[in-house]
Amino acid sequence: MMENLKSSGDRKLSCGDETKCFQLLESILDGENGLDSKQVLNEKLAKCQPCFEYYHLEQAIRELVKTKCTMQPVPEELAASIRQKIEEIR
Amino acid sequence: MSEVQRKKYSDRDKNSIFDNEFMPHIDSMYNFAFRLTFDEDDAKDLVQDTYLKAYRFINSFEKGTNAKAWLFRILKNSFINEYRKKSKQPTKVDYQEVETYYNSESVDYSITSDLRVDAVKDLIGDEISNALNSLAVDFRTVIILCDLEGFTYEEMAKILDIPIGTVRSRLHRARNLLKEKLRSYAQNMGYDTEED
Repeated sequence: MMENLKSSGDRKLSCGDETKCFQLLESILDGENGLDSKQVLNEKLAKCQPCFEYYHLEQAIRELVKTKCTMQPVPEELAASIRQKIEEIR
Repeated sequence: MSEVQRKKYSDRDKNSIFDNEFMPHIDSMYNFAFRLTFDEDDAKDLVQDTYLKAYRFINSFEKGTNAKAWLFRILKNSFINEYRKKSKQPTKVDYQEVETYYNSESVDYSITSDLRVDAVKDLIGDEISNALNSLAVDFRTVIILCDLEGFTYEEMAKILDIPIGTVRSRLHRARNLLKEKLRSYAQNMGYDTEED
């Protein structure tokens, strides 16, 4: 876990524009940025510790929501009951 | 969005669209409905009403386009118009208040949580689910649409009838609120979340 922080000595410890950077990081995590975002991202994360930490926390939370908020089992009769109601109004 | 061209589908077309384009989304629709209502019967009613409306208005759906977003939009509107009024779950935050206060697009990104990645990874499913469920419905909705259903900002803007900038800022605020909840869970587990 501490591996993430190993090279923190190479990164600047405060971010010049958190608002702009964090917004960009969120867009990238949400898949909203285009092809060139991968390189921008790598450069940013290599240089800036707050961006690095923010990105990894945001990534972990998205991952967690995706994997832990499991689907509710759909009641078996629901699809049939919808089809029946549709038949009635046809 | 461009003006919807009304179609005149034959019964056969209607059935085919309904079976092949609408029904495959029933799992996602039910899941969304359940996370909005927290009640199995209300969720079933909401999904059923949504499909009936979808069938009734099928001529305003263009075959082969984004059926899932179209259905989600109907479901969300039905929820707001009908279910929220009689919902057993009292809304924690006044909707209008949330709308006016939280719809501004300027967001302070500099307020960062001191939550740590390792603390987050040890949280269990129930805690995440409870944290998500505890958010006011507008915030809960954007996280469900984005993270669980994988909608793009543009699709979310259409589903929710809000500008993309508002989608972005609402998502940001929703995630901050979620982080606050998770942080309190992490603290209860004995993680030191304070900066050292």
